[in-house]
Order: sequence, then C-alpha cells, then structure tokens
Amino acid sequence: CAPIFRNHGYVPSDVDLAQLVVGKDTRDTAAPKVGRPSASGLLNDTGWFYVQSRWQQRGALAPQEIDRQVVALTFSESGVLQNVERFGLERGQIVPLSRRVTESSVQGQSVLGQLFANVGRLSAGQLLDN
Amino acid sequence: AIFAPAFAQQYAFDQVVIEGNQRVDNATILGFAGIRRGQALSQGGLNDAYQGLVRSGLFQTVEIVPQGGQLVIRVQEYPIVNIINFEGNKRLSDEDLAGIIQSQARRVYSPSVAEADAAAIGEAYRARGRIAATVTPKLIRRSEGRVDLAFEITEGRVTEIERLSFIGNRAFSDRRLRQVLETKQAGLLRTLIQRDTFVAERLELDKQLLRDFYLARGYVDIQVTDASAEVARERDAVFVSFAIREGRQYRFGGVTTVSEIEGLDAAEFGALSRVRSGVPYSPVVVENTIARMENLALRKGLTFVRVDPRITRNDRTGTLDLEFALVRGERVFVERIDIEGNTTTLDQVIRRQFRSAEGDPFNPREVRQSAERIRALGFFSDAQVNARPGSASDQVIVDVNVEEQPTGSLSFGASYGVESGIGVNIGFSESNFLGRGQALSVAVSTGTDSTSSSISITEPAFLGRDLSLSLGAFYNVTSQKNAIYDTANVGTRVALSFPVGDVSRLELRYGLSKNTIKGYEGKDVGGTIEVNPTLEAESARDGEFTSAVGYTYSYDTRIGGLSPDRGVVFRFSQDFAGLGGDAKYISNEVQALAERKILNEDVTLRAIFEAGAISPLGGYSTRVTERYFGNSKIRGFEGNGIGPRDTVTDDALGGNFYAVARFEADFPLGLPEEYGISGGLFLDVGSVWGLKGDVFDADNNPIDTGFNPRAAVGVSVLWDAPIGPLRFNFSKALKKEEYDKDQPFDLTISTRF
Amino acid sequence: CGARTQERSLDSYTAEEIYKQGELELETGRKPEDAIRYFQEVERLYPYSEWAKRSLIMQAFSQHKAKEYEEARSTAQRFLDTYPGDDDAPYASYLMALSYYDQIDEVGRDQGLTFQALQAMRGVIEQYPDSDYARSAMLKFELAFDHLAGKEMEIGRYYLKRRNYAAAINRFRTVVQDFQTTTHTAEALHRLVEAYLGLGLNAEAQTAAAILGYNYQSSPFYDDSFRLLKGRGLAPEAQGDSWLSQVYRQMIRGEWL
Repeated sequence: CAPIFRNHGYVPSDVDLAQLVVGKDTRDTAAPKVGRPSASGLLNDTGWFYVQSRWQQRGALAPQEIDRQVVALTFSESGVLQNVERFGLERGQIVPLSRRVTESSVQGQSVLGQLFANVGRLSAGQLLDN
Repeated sequence: AIFAPAFAQQYAFDQVVIEGNQRVDNATILGFAGIRRGQALSQGGLNDAYQGLVRSGLFQTVEIVPQGGQLVIRVQEYPIVNIINFEGNKRLSDEDLAGIIQSQARRVYSPSVAEADAAAIGEAYRARGRIAATVTPKLIRRSEGRVDLAFEITEGRVTEIERLSFIGNRAFSDRRLRQVLETKQAGLLRTLIQRDTFVAERLELDKQLLRDFYLARGYVDIQVTDASAEVARERDAVFVSFAIREGRQYRFGGVTTVSEIEGLDAAEFGALSRVRSGVPYSPVVVENTIARMENLALRKGLTFVRVDPRITRNDRTGTLDLEFALVRGERVFVERIDIEGNTTTLDQVIRRQFRSAEGDPFNPREVRQSAERIRALGFFSDAQVNARPGSASDQVIVDVNVEEQPTGSLSFGASYGVESGIGVNIGFSESNFLGRGQALSVAVSTGTDSTSSSISITEPAFLGRDLSLSLGAFYNVTSQKNAIYDTANVGTRVALSFPVGDVSRLELRYGLSKNTIKGYEGKDVGGTIEVNPTLEAESARDGEFTSAVGYTYSYDTRIGGLSPDRGVVFRFSQDFAGLGGDAKYISNEVQALAERKILNEDVTLRAIFEAGAISPLGGYSTRVTERYFGNSKIRGFEGNGIGPRDTVTDDALGGNFYAVARFEADFPLGLPEEYGISGGLFLDVGSVWGLKGDVFDADNNPIDTGFNPRAAVGVSVLWDAPIGPLRFNFSKALKKEEYDKDQPFDLTISTRF
Repeated sequence: CGARTQERSLDSYTAEEIYKQGELELETGRKPEDAIRYFQEVERLYPYSEWAKRSLIMQAFSQHKAKEYEEARSTAQRFLDTYPGDDDAPYASYLMALSYYDQIDEVGRDQGLTFQALQAMRGVIEQYPDSDYARSAMLKFELAFDHLAGKEMEIGRYYLKRRNYAAAINRFRTVVQDFQTTTHTAEALHRLVEAYLGLGLNAEAQTAAAILGYNYQSSPFYDDSFRLLKGRGLAPEAQGDSWLSQVYRQMIRGEWL
C-alpha cells in the first residue's frame, strides 16, 4: 500500500540564505530576509534554528523521518551573524526519551468520578435496538 | 442608636450618630461610609463617605452633618423587595421575564431599576412583534419596610405583516422573492406561523438574503436600496416594501488559470475548475473551485499557496472573465495551538487530529479539515477552530474551542416475563473513556431463556500512532419458546486499521467464533407440525467453528476530499473463513456512496449501493447465521421481510447474495432552525437471493430462490433529537413478492454511512 | 411540601436562632445543603442585619463544602459587594479563589480554571496582604502556577514523543523562561537536551545540560541528561521496558509517554 508523506517545519531556500552576509547582518536585518526561526537557542537568542522534515508512514508501521534539513544561524554576543550552517538527518540522534514525568500536585477527579460525570446522553442505539 | 467609638484623633469627631436606619445596622453603614475607628476626617473624607453610602443603593436619602464634636449620619432606607411577580404575561413565561429584569427578591428596591426593568420587558415583547405591549411596575407595601414588586403587562395583539411588496424587480416575480425572505406575509396560518410578525431587525437580514439571492444568479451590481415599513393606525398591521435596483445579469466568460509560483504548473490546477463559461455568474461556484485548488495544493504538500480569483468585467458582452492566479501567500506560521473547553477529553486526543504541528507553515484548508475531524469524533456538541494573530506579524495562534457533551450511557434493567422468568441487564458504553478517545462497551443481560454478554474496546491511537486497535468478545445464548430454533454463539474478534492514503484506510481483522443452532422441531401451523427441510438440516449440524481472517479497504473523501460540497465513499471487504474451523467460505461485501449538496448547500442528494456475496468452498453450505437477510438495508420491509421464504412455515431462509440501491434526498422543511426537523424522499430497490442447490418447503414443493427485485418508495421526517438523529420513514412497497412482509412505517437512527 | 410548612415556622424565630440552627446543622448534619437553607432564611427574613451578614459568609462556606462551587462563588461575591470593608472580606475573597482552585483538573484537560484561580489568589494577596489568608493564598498560587507549567510540559512531551523537535523546544523553552520557579524546570531542561540532541545541535544540548547541572544537581533528570551526553544508556527506571508492558502502560494506565 502506498506510503503517506507529511511535511513539517520550514527552512529558508538557498536563494534567501544567499542574501545573508556573515559578519554584517544582525538579527533585525536577517529576519525579513529569511523569516522567523522555528526554534531558537536557550541563551539570549544567540542561535536561530530552522527545521524542515519530511515524514513517511507506511501502513501500520511507525512514521519514519526520511529527510530533515536544519539551518543554524549563530549570532555573536553583540548580535552580528557569525555562521550559517546547514545539515541534515545524519547529525541527529535517535534519543531514547526518559519515561520520568514530574507529577503535578493537583489531582483531577477520581476514575469513577470521571466515568459517571460523563454519563448522560441516552444513546438512540439503546432505545431502538433494531 | 448611638454609636460612640473613642476617636483618639486630635480634632476628629468623638461621636458618630446614625439616625433613621431600621434594618441596615451601624457597622454596615460605617463600612459603606468607609469611616474606621481613629481615622481623621477632612471635608474630602466626608464627601467620600456620602458617595459611598449613596453608591450602596440602600438609601433613598443620605445626609452627613458635622455638629460640633458629633458626626450625624441621617439616612432613609429604600424598602427591600420581598417577592416579584408578573401579571398578564401569556407569551413570555415568568422564568423568561425573571431572567430579563435586574431587580431581585431579597435585594433593595430602587425605582430607577424597576423602570429599566419595565422597559426591558417591553423591548422583549417588541422583539416578538408585539409593538403594542405595555408594562407598568406596581408597588405593594409590606410590613417592616418591605415591598412586593409586581409588573402589570398588557401584551396586546401581534403586529403582522399584511403585505410584502417589491419595487424595481424585473427578473423575478414578487412571489418568487417572497420565498427568499426570512419574514413571511401573514397568510391563512397567521396565528401559527411566527415569522409573519414584524420585527425590525429581521429587515436587515432580509435585505442581505435578497442580495445573496441575486448575486447567486449573476446580478453582480444588485443593490437593495431601501426596506420601508409603514405601521397601520391600530398598530396591528404593517406594510413592508423593498426597493431593488437589479442591474444586469452577468455570465461567466473566459476561464484561465495562471501560476505565479515557479515550478508549479497551472494546468493541473486548472483542470479542477467547476466554472463553465456561458452559465450565470455565481460566487458559490468560484469559492468551490478555489477550495478544490487549495485542497490539491495541501495534498501535494505545497506551503504558502493561495488562489486569487481575478475578475475582469466586459460590460459590452455582459460576461465576466475569470483568472485563477496561484500566488505565493505570505509566510505565516502556527505559533501555538491552544485547546480550550476540553473538560473531559484529553488535550492530545484533540491535538492529534491536526496534521500540522506548532511552528509549521499556517494552512487555512488544513485547519478547516482538522476542525471537521474534531467534529467527526462525536465527543463535542460544538467545536470551533479559528486562527487569531500571534505575538509577531507572521505568526498565528490557532484557537480550538470545544463544548463537551456526555458520551457515556449506563443502562440498568430488570425484566420479568411469565415464561422467560426474571431477567437482569446491565450495560455501560462510553465512546470517550476517561477522555482518552478510547471506546469501551460492556453489556450483560441474563434471563432464564436467553443470556447475552459482550465487551469491546477500541484504542484509536495504538502505540501513539494513527493505528486503531479494537478487541471484542461476545457470548450469546437464545432459547426462547416462540423462536424457531435455539442458537448459542461465543467468539472473539481483533482488528487493526490504519491509513493507506490521504483519504483511504485499511482494516485487517481476525475472528474466531463457535455458532450452534439446535432444537429445530418445525412450527405448529393449523394443528400440524410443519418442518422446513433446510432449517432442519442446518439445525442438525449443531455447533460449528468459524475462524476467519478478513480486510476492509475504505476510501472516503467527505472530509479530506477536494471539494467541500460533495463526497464519495467506497468500501470493499472480504472475509476468508477456513483457517481451521468448520466453516469454509469467502464472503465479499461492497458499499458505495455518492453525496452532493445543491441549491447552495440546503439540499443533499445521496445514492447508496450495497451488495454482498458468500461463496462457500469445498462442499461447505452456508447456514442461516451466515446468510444475508437484507435487514435495515432496504426500507419498506420488515426484518427478514424479503428473500427466499418457506411459505408453509413462514420462515425466511436468507440468501447467499444481496444487492440494494438507495436513492435519497434530504431538504429543509422551512421550519425554524431550532426544531432540527427536515424532510426526505427515498427510493429503495434491492433483493436477497441464491441458495445452494434446490430448496424445498415443508410440503416439498420447490422454493423460488431466484433474483426477484423489490422496490419501495417513501417520505421520511428527520429529527435531530436529543437522544440522537432519528429518521421516521413512511414507505410504500411498489414491487414485492406476495410472500414478502412489507412495513409501511419504521423508525431508524440515521447513522453516518 | 415539607419545606413549605417549615418556612412559615421559621418566621417566628429570631435571626440568631435560625443562624445557630444553621451552624448546628453544618457541624452535625451529613449534607451541608440543609445548613445552606437555614442561612438563606436568615438573609431573607432579616436582610442587611448583622446576622444576615454572618449567615451570608457561612452560606458561601457551606456551599463550598457541598462542592457547589459556582453558587459558593456568587454568594461570596455578593458578600464582597454588600459588605466591602468587613473584616470577613479577606475570607470571602479567599473562599472565591479556593472554589476555582478546587476545580482544577488534570494537566491533560482545560486549564481555564487554573488561570481564574491564579487571578483570584493574586487578588487576595494584593488586597489583603496582612490577612492570614494571604499566606495560604500565596501557597495555593504557587501550586496553581506549577500546574500551569505542567500543562505546557504535557504539550511539549506530546510533540517530543512524535519527534516534532522544533515544536517541543518552543514549549520547553516557555517553561524554562516563564515558569522558572516551578518544579517542572528541571524536566524542561532535560527535555531540551533530548530535543537538541535529536536535532544534532550538540552545543545547545551541552548548554542546557550545564544549566540543569548547575541549578538542579541532585535532580534525577540531571542524571538522565548526564548519561545521554556521555552516550551511556538511560537509568533502568527511566528506560522503556518490554513492548507488552509498554502497551499496558500506555493503553490501560494512560501514561502515554
């Protein structure tokens, strides 16, 4: 059966990237040329990252990421563009996610509470079991 | 009542005297005046105290008089409202009126509020067309400063619209235009119909309806210049007239598609156009074509593609040339998807209906299709998805607002039948178990002669993927006295279903069950026991195992399809019984539906075709539990009403083949929206036929098992009832075999195909 | 018909007697509803009296106890409108905030009530800073704020599980920047390490792990990050277990990560 493809994210095209000049462009002049980053670094915006990935799902199997493009713009402390980097799926790692979750202090309704809270509509199916 | 707190201030009053308060005690008055112990009072302070007391709304008059060392506060209290009642209201109930007014029992009576309430009630009656209604508030004094407030209402007669006239309409007659309007002219049923009452706001709506009517027929320059209403002297009749300037009717001229995005060929998109030149111009067709083109762009995974319709008028030929331009839309991203209102359903159950994630390019078509998918879940009475500007100019926040509705039903029951004895049934079914989107249903019902129990659970996102797993098990035993045979079947079923294309899904399943038929002794017909040979033979085979693996391929464009106003569904399923077990057959079924909305989406036309065929393998012959009976496939006939039948013992034998075609039209009946009632027409044609070898009845004459088509036509009333969408079918069998059992009326649930 | 006869008999009692009856009913009676009725009677028969004021606040308290949160809120609001300066006012506005707080639901569900609880608690803290309710309002404020961070984390984990790293990073960064004081920051930083590594931005992953190590040295999440960066496998309890128990955990227990 035919695989289904799905695209996520956005990466500026090479034409847009060519307009950026390392050492001269700052954050404000870069944004109109290449648009806003889909994700950015942790410390005061020194890293702008654009991610675009293409997923393929074949039948009942888990969806696979078959292509990913990451463009990383790094700015110096003073906000001047230092480096434009483009790389793909090969540098990413398949990271095992930790199963630990921080429990929140507030407990919702009990299981039974939720069950009975949601009972109400007499479904037509029961009345006319034709 | 003297109140003497010791003020330690140098020049403040050492005593505050409060006079005139019967009910409101001093602490409260001081609270409102904002005077605290030991607080110096300037002139401004006094003024604030005065304002505080007035604002409290408790006092008719307030005086604050500093007398030397004393501060005197003299108040006269408003009375308290004890009870509020309404006299003379027939059209509006007391609860409706209580909702409108501000005054409340146990609160302070204030004349200004009572006047405002009277005006509000008058306004409510005017909104229902009773301009002549009058409302006067009355006071009845009670003991201890309490009053009763009564609103005396004279509703007056309804002002109805005697005549609806139009000026300047050449292309369409007054009568045709009257059908378009929401307001109706008072006719025979004037007392019944509410929409012939004159309501000013409805005129604005009617002007818009007229404009849309003309626009949809190519009159692009239509102007409804004025809607005037003259009121007759006795205020019970109104004459309404609409002034229209039609302008010319324009038709579609040339239609072209051009692409301003490099690498995108316009021809493929142009082929989707529904616009035919020469036909009167209609915005609905243009919008439809745009929807189809943008859906195609979505399916091809293109981002930021927008279709701009560019219209050039040539007045000489009275045509409009249309150019669909594929342009690069501005780069806008989804900043966040906020989901609100989900008090039961978990956030991810809704979020996974979106095919785009946060940070992805924003595509309005995708968001609209996701909204459809959320509504199709069936957990919400209302689901609104709309986009609003985000924190930056190129960012958008998608807001999902859902309103939950109960999705669980619990049924208890105990029954006592003289012969069947005491029966208990417990059923719990929930289509949104704990808000996780899982469907769970458990049902147990016991009686001395029949017990049936079943459990089934479906997880739509098994292992977090778009992969639905459903497991089921059942155990049913029936041995009623009046049934012709006893049955017992127990079994389990497991199924996996996953998408195999944008709009198609595949389900793989396996079912193992043991079916037993026994105890067939024929039927007592007029004193003699008549035995049908086929059923007797089948009953002799007692219990048999069926182990079958199967699949269903389904293709459904109603949500993900290209055009919003039509849809096609095609399902093909096969089950192969014979993986071990006794039963050996291949059962094939096909279901197809074509649906289209016409007359700007008011009327839905639907054509459904269903057929099934069981082909037994290796000498196996089917039994009555596997054959088709056409139940609920064709209307106008009872359950087991058609197909081969032993006329002597009156037992339906079913058939190895069935084929049914249903043609339906659903249309509004013009009743107000809130009743949720619409009408329908249908024509059902079909038959059940085919049994292996020759089959004889109790008197040993052969039974006709050939293909004899039956047909029934009918009218139905659809009612969107609180317990679910119901369909009342009134049908007449046009063509049937004389031994068939027709059924002129039945009530079914109009389930989603 | 019972209520009808009882009503007439109450007219003859003084406000104080009915109030005392209500209080008695509240302590002894199983259902607070009866107490509510008595307090309402006091207010109806002796409006704006001292006893009416006391019974209004008691009415709000018993409605809250009966878990009738909307009614409790409207009664408390009515108390604040009619007796703004009263020394029970802090308790009334705290009761209103509490009624929102007690309705807060799991992180997976709508957090509209959490917002309202936060605003109401802040109202109590700002309006009545020195009342003894301010302190417990502060505590509840922290817990509600923490719960809000939990909602952001839930959505972040949803996208992380589906490997939409960019979407996940944005959600976790919101937690790190706007919800620093909550208990979720440690996990948010670890999730950022996972997401950055997933994308191959190892420098950013190192920074996130450094911040996590500096501020939350003893947190188990730092241990997970440390192992991830050193390339060693995850600690046993953080790792997934066999396929079947994963299905049981996700499908039956609803722990979908």
